[in-house]
Amino acid sequence: MSVQVIGTPLRVARPRTRLRLEHFVMGGAILCLIVLVVLPLMSLLIGSLRGEQGISLQNFAEVATGRLYVSALKNSLILGAWTGLFSLIIGVALAWAVSRTDVPGKALIQITASLSYLSPPFLTAIAFVYLFSPNAGLINVLMRDVLGLPWLTFNVFSMTGLVLVTVLHTFPFVYLLASSALLSVDASYEEAAQILGASKLRTAFTVTAPLVAPAILSGTLLAFVNAIALFGSQAIIGLPGRIVTLPTRIYALFDYPPEYGLASAMSLLFVVITVVALYLQRAFLARRSYVTLAGKGARPQLMTLGPARWLVFGLVILVFIVAIVAPYATLIAVSFSKSWGLEFWKGLTLANYKFILFEYNVTQRAILNSLMLATIAATIAVILGAIIGWIDLRTRIPGRKLLDYAALIPLGLPGIVVAVALIQFWLAMPLALYGTLAILLLAYVGRYIPLGVRAANASLRQIDPSLEESAQILGASWLTTMREVTLPLIRPGLFAGWLLVFVPVIQELSASILLFSSSSITLAVAVYNLYETGYIEPVAALAIINMLIIGAAIWIANKLGGGKIASRTGMQRLAT
Amino acid sequence: MASITIKGLTKTFAPGDDDAPAAVAGLDLDIKDNQFITLLGPSGCGKTTTLRMIAGYIMPDAGTIHVNGQLVSSPGSVTPPDQRGMGMVFQNYAVWPHKTVYENVVFGLKIRKTPSAQVKKKMDETLALVNLTGLEARYPNELSGGQQQRVAFARSLVVEPEILLLDEPLSNLDAKLREQMRVELKRLQRRTGITFVYVTHDQAEALALSDQIAVLHAGRLQQYGTPQEVYGRPANRVVADFMGLVNLIPAKVAMARDGMGTIEAAGGLRLEVPLPSGINTGDGVEVSIRPENIRLGAAAGGARATISDRTFLGNINEYYASLDSGPTLRVQTHPAQVFTIGDKVAIEIDTTQCSVFRNNP
Repeated sequence: MSVQVIGTPLRVARPRTRLRLEHFVMGGAILCLIVLVVLPLMSLLIGSLRGEQGISLQNFAEVATGRLYVSALKNSLILGAWTGLFSLIIGVALAWAVSRTDVPGKALIQITASLSYLSPPFLTAIAFVYLFSPNAGLINVLMRDVLGLPWLTFNVFSMTGLVLVTVLHTFPFVYLLASSALLSVDASYEEAAQILGASKLRTAFTVTAPLVAPAILSGTLLAFVNAIALFGSQAIIGLPGRIVTLPTRIYALFDYPPEYGLASAMSLLFVVITVVALYLQRAFLARRSYVTLAGKGARPQLMTLGPARWLVFGLVILVFIVAIVAPYATLIAVSFSKSWGLEFWKGLTLANYKFILFEYNVTQRAILNSLMLATIAATIAVILGAIIGWIDLRTRIPGRKLLDYAALIPLGLPGIVVAVALIQFWLAMPLALYGTLAILLLAYVGRYIPLGVRAANASLRQIDPSLEESAQILGASWLTTMREVTLPLIRPGLFAGWLLVFVPVIQELSASILLFSSSSITLAVAVYNLYETGYIEPVAALAIINMLIIGAAIWIANKLGGGKIASRTGMQRLAT
Repeated sequence: MASITIKGLTKTFAPGDDDAPAAVAGLDLDIKDNQFITLLGPSGCGKTTTLRMIAGYIMPDAGTIHVNGQLVSSPGSVTPPDQRGMGMVFQNYAVWPHKTVYENVVFGLKIRKTPSAQVKKKMDETLALVNLTGLEARYPNELSGGQQQRVAFARSLVVEPEILLLDEPLSNLDAKLREQMRVELKRLQRRTGITFVYVTHDQAEALALSDQIAVLHAGRLQQYGTPQEVYGRPANRVVADFMGLVNLIPAKVAMARDGMGTIEAAGGLRLEVPLPSGINTGDGVEVSIRPENIRLGAAAGGARATISDRTFLGNINEYYASLDSGPTLRVQTHPAQVFTIGDKVAIEIDTTQCSVFRNNP
């Protein structure tokens, strides 16, 4: 049999230097990144230097010396330090229990950590106010008025309360990094120490601990950075307790007349703190590489705890109750009660939901806005992330690493700082974006683009470039190659990335609080405003609706993104 | 059908970049129609870089590539791979894991918008050619390594390229399968008349398959010739060393005349050998002698040596024979010819098969 030419094979074409589609796509992505991140940051810098008489360092001088500003900085650092410490303790304890002991209920630990991470922190804060506000908090009332134990009351409007509520959101950072590090330490490392005569304890301190320490430190720094950036809990818990922090101080500067210069200077100070922390975090994480070398074959040794395992299990249950059961049960209970108090169960009603969904005219708009913004922002962030990741990994364009770094900058930008930067930038532009949905979209995409880039990067690394090259040599254009080969292969990773952006966007408060207007109000802002106005029971109903939407989104994305492709294909094998 | 002319091709990569491919320097290569040519060399010699420049994935820093007389690559201007109409088989096969065998193979036909009647005919022919008939609906992870390999071939062949580029396509197969695919490849090339440009580091593979071999080392072309030329008349000691086993022995030219000469080495080795031009009496040289061109005899006469080591390799016996107060030679003999360690033997060398290289200063 012979192969004969019966069609018209592609003939060799002349070399071309003209631009192809991919160049426009790449150029567009770079331009987006500049508009989203680089220009707003630069206008933040310019804004902070603009004094009453031209360029000056006056704003920085005031931020460095003014009592209000110094105390805000101090409070933020105290909050971050305590939160970091407790996240470290809880996170490491749980990670150790899961990966190294025979403690029962390991699935519960996993669920507790995931749910704590996914729960909007301002909702947890509101729930704890319902339980522990000094006068009306349910548990405080119970202790003081019914049981006569006033010394068992707890004032949530305090630094202790703020740390408690924040830790519930940040300990998963330590937990996730520590448990993955512990799981990837190959048992043979520990066995090698033991065969040389080291006791279990000694092995733990001399072999295991140094191997996982970078991951734990890195998780602690992430907890710190995230803790100090949370506007919601710091406003809900901190302000009534007269604890003003950086985000709440910056927010206050936008009360009429807005102090743009001071807000910019404070924002920059804020950025410096988070960037230093993140730089240290990355440096620690970089040292982790030798842990993962052991690969998947790791079989960690499980410690037999004996009766002590019930003690550890008790700790797990405690965390589960405080972090998950208490806030959710409270919100659910409040949402169904006519009037929140000791006897709330006597007047259960659906009126709050009816009010929130059909009578309060903000809700529907807020839900619609949030769903729309989160969907669009997640999609754009993932698409931009895919293009930027592709440029970084698949081209040799000079400056591609710079692009990658630019896309990671927002990791160091607290939400409120993003908002200040966008306000500064867009107020100076002839385009009236302030107060529109568009500026919220810019904030969300800009803030969460690092998650899109990371997801795309991780997926692209799994795919050998030859899979794309083989399509190209067969005559496929760039677009065809992307559509037929690259995108189908990275789809599961992109869906995961999409979800990673969608969930935080739908609960975003820190940036939204400065950028919304009555027409562009979002779900989180609606909850916060309603809470501020004192609608106790309807707030809980709205909070529950908020959680249901997040849950539904995760469920749908899991369905759509399914592991179908990944499991069907030998991607791992081909990715060598 | 298709010829490739490479002139002065040069590519350097920034140092320090870990995954930077090897450099190529001033490569000239003339690949004629309907040939099986091999780029051969150790890893890091620039053979894959050269192949990827032919495919259009990499832009050269200097030099040109013409295909059928048409310029396709020069610094600053490269016809992209999808406009070259070539085929390429990758080392890791690059079979798309999310497409079935059929979807993988039919891809190029779809790109070319081939009419469906022809698609069916070509698909049937090509799948039969590579023995994949009946496996159309399988996904790659349901195939063996050899089958995935054949999918990669089918995908490249179904579009009938004039040039097929192959990047170590057999290196991931086990020895037996590799042997079998070697025969099939050679047959395939003859049958289709496609110009094959084949990259490998395996000299046996290159010798078995090629019409012409281009030996590369450190980014430079060392020799371009038929397998017989490259093996039997290596252009320099790098080629001699790379093409199979060789004894390289330092020697001195005792007398040179008309392309022939007498050279002397330690241990009383005196050989009448063909000399390359420019070598004169008194020059220091190296002589390369292949182990199979040395005979061992019990009889006296010629240089004498002592057997110092012996390895039985099944089809041959390999001996190390130490010349008295001279170098040790590696010798291959018929397995029936048996000596024991310590035996005194006479050495006889087929001088017509020796090559002489000038000493590197």
